[in-house]
Amino acid sequence: MEHSKQTQFGSSDKKDAGTSSVVNGHCDGMVKRPAGGPSQPPAAESGSQRPVMESWREDRTRSVEDNEMRLPSLAAAYTTILRGLGEDPQRQGLLKTPWRAATAMQFFTKGYQEKIIADVLNDAIFDEDHDEMVIVKDIDMFSMCEHHLVPIFGRVHIGYLPNKRVLGLSKLARIVEIYSRRLQVQERLTKQIAVAITEALQPTGVGVVIEATHMCMVMRGVQKMNSKTVTSTMLGVFREDPKTRDEFLTLIRS
Amino acid sequence: MEYQHDIEINGEDKYLNICKHNGLCKKEKDSKDDTDSNKLSHIEKAYTTILGELGEDVDREGLLRTPLRAAKAMQFFTKGYKETTQDIMNDAIFDENHDEMVIVKDIDLFSLCEHHLVPFFGKAHIAYLPNKKVVGLSKLARIVEIYSRRLQVQERLTKQIASAISEALEPAGVAVVIEATHMCMVMRGVQKINASTVTSVMLGTFQDNPITRKEFLDLTIRK
Repeated sequence: MEHSKQTQFGSSDKKDAGTSSVVNGHCDGMVKRPAGGPSQPPAAESGSQRPVMESWREDRTRSVEDNEMRLPSLAAAYTTILRGLGEDPQRQGLLKTPWRAATAMQFFTKGYQEKIIADVLNDAIFDEDHDEMVIVKDIDMFSMCEHHLVPIFGRVHIGYLPNKRVLGLSKLARIVEIYSRRLQVQERLTKQIAVAITEALQPTGVGVVIEATHMCMVMRGVQKMNSKTVTSTMLGVFREDPKTRDEFLTLIRS
Repeated sequence: MEYQHDIEINGEDKYLNICKHNGLCKKEKDSKDDTDSNKLSHIEKAYTTILGELGEDVDREGLLRTPLRAAKAMQFFTKGYKETTQDIMNDAIFDENHDEMVIVKDIDLFSLCEHHLVPFFGKAHIAYLPNKKVVGLSKLARIVEIYSRRLQVQERLTKQIASAISEALEPAGVAVVIEATHMCMVMRGVQKINASTVTSVMLGTFQDNPITRKEFLDLTIRK
């Protein structure tokens, strides 16, 4: 897992702008789309001109109206899939399945339509003279594997050392929701959560650990039922000081 | 790939209607000129559309081959449509003078909810009372695989497994219990993480005799 040299908090990755595929190898992949246009997004933005990791401050590009507009073509695509699999889309159990599956998939990717500042963090950053570790652990997480479009689920443990500012606790879980409800890769998800907290609070350090089960490995492919994938991102003093890191890891295990 | 399900179970034949469609439909049989790779590319194109409509950038590195991978994954998840119990059971039925309960439990099961196309998974516990014929034990697990690798409803899945064993072995009784977690309930909708759905089918002695049924349940569900 790559570690970025992020010693300066509070800045977005502007220093990496211009070099593509650094760090996580992609930005969120979100490209602004003209409303009502099913055409491909401006292709010029792909490749090297794409900004690396979008700042958490950027607005998402999907809206609730977008969802409604795109639902019929999503449903049509699911009908094609059902036929391609050899099923009969007209049988009773499958009649409304394309619509249900399309709505479900939009729900599983609703992280694309949520805005961190407006929806999540706005009012919940408080000045507090606390500089001991704050941990929120066992946050249930559900995501979608971007390679197979199959669920990933697991738990997220977050710890941070405040630097005069603390965050409402549920907001940590909401940050997890925003980034996990997308087409994801577990490594990237871990990093995005850590960076978002860093940029919002400028804490002394942040640690994020995710343990998850990937259905793409359990239901197909190698078919290993009990395997779990664990990824972690340690920033700031969690990375530099082994004792802090140790305390965090011990506390999330207990 | 005929889906065979022609006996009546306990006088109920309304089940047959559901079963007939839980397999290749007539329309699909008519268009046999559609080769498998053709179907795969249709599904692949559909996934490309889906990715685009969700607002993602289909040209980014991580998503470049996702439509193909997702299409193949979906075909794997529905491979049960192409398999029949005849194929796997035929050679593994043995004459044995055994009439005590045979249980195979904790069979991992993965299926797809036919309403949301989202996985559900859990364990199946199967028991039967042989009537002069026993079956190779792994065949019970293979029967679970055949019926679970389809677009399913848990109730129907349980029944199909029970009736397949019933037809093949003509035992004195069959019992099937499935405990599963439905991602459509966990990841969306009500979002109840710990909820688990249990369905069971009891045929023959398991249905008529409460003591037999209790013995089965004690040996499987009650840990």
